[in-house]
This record gives sequence, structure tokens and C-alpha cells, in this order.
Amino acid sequence: MSLLKDDDRNYLIEEFSKMVNDVEIIHFTSSDCNYCEDTLKILNEISGLTDKIHLKVFDAEKDEEITKKFDIENMLPATILVHDNNPNLRFYGIPSGYEFGSLIEMILEIGKGKPSLKEETIKRLKEIDKPVNIKVFVTTTCPYCPSAVITAQKFGLVNSNIHSYMIEATEFPELSRKYDVYSVPKVVINDKVEFEGAASEEQFLDFIFEAINE
Amino acid sequence: MNEIFDVIIVGAGPAGLTAGIYLGRARLKTLIIEKLITGGLAATTELLENYPGFPDGINGMELGEKMEEQAKRFGVRFVFEEVKDFGKDGDYFNVKTDDNVYFCKSIVIATGSHYKKLNVPGEDKFSGRGISYCATCDAPFFKDRNIVIIGTGNSGLQEGLHLLKFVKKITFIEFLPYITGEKILQERFPKETEFLLNKEVLSFEGEKRLEGVKIKDRKTGEISFVPAEGAFLYVGLLPNTDFLKGKLELDENGFIKTNERCETSLKGVFAIGDVRNSIVKQVATAVGDGALVSRFVQKYIEEKEVK
Repeated sequence: MSLLKDDDRNYLIEEFSKMVNDVEIIHFTSSDCNYCEDTLKILNEISGLTDKIHLKVFDAEKDEEITKKFDIENMLPATILVHDNNPNLRFYGIPSGYEFGSLIEMILEIGKGKPSLKEETIKRLKEIDKPVNIKVFVTTTCPYCPSAVITAQKFGLVNSNIHSYMIEATEFPELSRKYDVYSVPKVVINDKVEFEGAASEEQFLDFIFEAINE
Repeated sequence: MNEIFDVIIVGAGPAGLTAGIYLGRARLKTLIIEKLITGGLAATTELLENYPGFPDGINGMELGEKMEEQAKRFGVRFVFEEVKDFGKDGDYFNVKTDDNVYFCKSIVIATGSHYKKLNVPGEDKFSGRGISYCATCDAPFFKDRNIVIIGTGNSGLQEGLHLLKFVKKITFIEFLPYITGEKILQERFPKETEFLLNKEVLSFEGEKRLEGVKIKDRKTGEISFVPAEGAFLYVGLLPNTDFLKGKLELDENGFIKTNERCETSLKGVFAIGDVRNSIVKQVATAVGDGALVSRFVQKYIEEKEVK
């Protein structure tokens, strides 16, 4: 059965047709995971709408080597949007609800080949030469969360030193507890700097610089 | 030559989107500038039960998206930027965002409102550590916990009904001696829900995380402690007017003063929805404002063109 409504499907087909780059999605799934089946359904459906999305699915239990290579550590389902061979944009947990929008937006960003960020932001991002790990904790019912996920991932698109992960908080309760997540979006940068709520490009970037200069 | 819009609508909540639908349909060149998400504050409401036409209720965000689609159908353009300032040079208004300046003949302000803070000790400390202003976003973190909801207005009760699906027990705390929200919402809470009325919140208490709320009885002066791991605050609305910088007359609560035509103190600038001094803050009344203002925006532009 199709998950998408006809209108939404047609909209996506049209948007995907504007992409100039192909997008590779590497996905890790498992039979022993609450949201894996539904996540795979979503990915199969969107990759079926265009020949520009190439979905590669691995079973975390059977394909141990590659799971290890991508450092997935039982964070399943895991979906990696690959750009220029970089695996730094990731969705841990189901990209449904409002996060479906984040996933689509990032596929289109990669596909269109030019991140829609301000010139000044891109300039500052390119200066970053240290590893940055951004965890964006979300729930799928949070209307403010996609903005945080998308900003973090667009940053990662400009500079592959920046690893930007969406983490669906309710699927990873231990991690959420570790990072004291009780309100979303919650952003944690290099385990040092954190903030809650929506932030502008500039504010978000300032937090990153705060984290790397600490 | 800069592009000139007939009208720029600031804010894509129900009021702004409705104005967009009407003005776009009237063939006015219309731009909507939105800071964050379409649907406004109503987008954080899981189910709007009293918006006509949806007998089973409709999700606030979904309603916003449908209105956006409808406005786009009539040629309304959208940009997602934050308006920082506006002014007037000669015949045209300019509207400044972080990145751009847009020009127009008239402005409709529909920036809405946000939930008020209580400004009591502990509120900032525990914000995101138990205190939340968005039940749809954060409800899952309070599964099987005891929580308090501050405020028994329709927002508090409505969000409480959503939270009931997750939490163990809800205790409402209300400043006034009675429950201020609608009966039909009150009736749906289970017997064990407590309503503490006529209580002032003194502080939010805890070590690292919220552990409870200290309250004072407004009649007896008695101070007590309500243990709670979560607190959701619905104590009223504040208008989003930072970018106005004193350019428009406001009422004593900070809402934009308008007349019955939604005209502000500055000619050519209109205000609709929650941000203006309306008595009722509902999606339906915001939509009404959007429809109403479109008539007077058109009239203003027509009269200007004739001159």
C-alpha cells in the first residue's frame, strides 16, 4: 500500500525531476527494531518515484562489516544521505511526520547541488577545519524541529567536517537521557555546547564556533 | 527597478494565510514573509476541534499547509525570512529582513503571538529540563510521569487532553479562583486530574531537573509544593511585535491598536489576528480578520492609484 497521497506523490515527482545530481541513500535496517520496517517502506516509496535516488539497504545483523565501517552502533534504523562520497548527513530513527519534510528537503538540496545558505554563512562554514558533530534531537510531532535538522545538515553539505545527525528522541531513550533531552529540538554540538529551540543560521553557526573554540 | 508588491503580509498563520488567499484571488501582487513555519501558533495544536468544516477536528499544521496551498493557487508568493524592520520612502513601504529588502504599497501585519513566561525563579533554569511550552513536541518525554499544567484556559486544557495520552497524572494550577477554559474540555479529564485554583506559582524547584513547583494559596497565603517532573505553561499570549520598534500604536498589553477595519495608527499598515487588540484569540476569528482586512487593503490601494 502506498504511504503517500496522490497529490504529494505528484509534487515529489516534479521536485525530484529538477535535481541535477543523483542522490545515494545508504540505509541500515534490522528485523529487531520497532521502526525499521516503516522506515524502509518510506525510503522504498520515495526512491521509486525517480531514477535519481539510489537506495542501498544493508541488514545491520548480516552486513556487519559495512555497518561497522559506517559506525552505526545499533542506532537503527539509520539513513545516510551521501553527497560527494561523504556519509556525514544522517537520520537516526524514522523520518516520518514533520521529519519526512526534513528528509525530502535534504535530498533536494543535495540533488540541486547548491546549498541554499547565505554567502556569509558559506564563507564561515568553509573555514572550519576541525571535526564537528551535531546531534539534533527531535520528535516526529514537533513542527519546529525540521528547521534545526535542515540547518545542521545544510552546514554539513558545505563542509564535510561537520557531521549532522537527526536523532528521533523517543526511539533512542538511553541516548536522550544521556543528553537530558526533555524538549525538542535540542541540539548538541561536540558534546560541549547545547541549545533548545529554533536558531537562525548565524546563531547556529555561533554555537558551532563556540564548541570548536572551547 | 525594484519589484513592487501591492501588499506584503508578515506572518503565515491562519490570519496572514487567509488574507493571502483573498488578496491573491483579488489579483493583487501579494508576498507573504514567514519567519519559521506556516500555520502559526495553531500549528502546535494537535487537534482543532472548533474550526468549522471539520467535524472530526483538524491538525493545526495540516490546516496551515492547506491554507498555504490555497494561497499559492492564487499566485501568492512566500519567502521564509525574519522581518526585522519596516519603513516608508515616498510612495512605497520597505520591509527589511536579514537578507533582503522588499517593497510594497501596503503592509498587513499578522505576526501572531507566543506563550507568555511566568518570570518566576527556576523558569529559565528548567526550561528544557522539565518546563515546556509545546505539548505536541515534548509530550513523549513525560510518559508515565506526573506533570503540572499552569493555566486552565482553553490552551492549557486542550494541550492537557493531548498530554493525557502520555502522562500518569496532570495537576492544573490556576491563578484565578475558577477554571477559565470551556466546560466541554474540562469534562473530558479523568477524576484523578487535580485542579488547584486561586494559586500563585512562586518558583520551579529541583536539582538538575525539574522536581516540582512551589505555589501559594492566594486566599490563605499557605505555601505548598507540588511534585512534578514536567510543567507545561499556558498562562496567556504575548504579541510578536519586536520588529515594530515603536512605529505603531499599541494597547496597554502590547497588542497593536486597530479599528474595526484592522487599520493601525499608520496609514497603509494593517494588523490582523492575535497580534492586534482583538478580544478573542481563535483560529476562526483570525481567519475572519484575514477576510475582512482584504477588503480594506484593496480599497486603500485603489484609492491610492486614483490619486
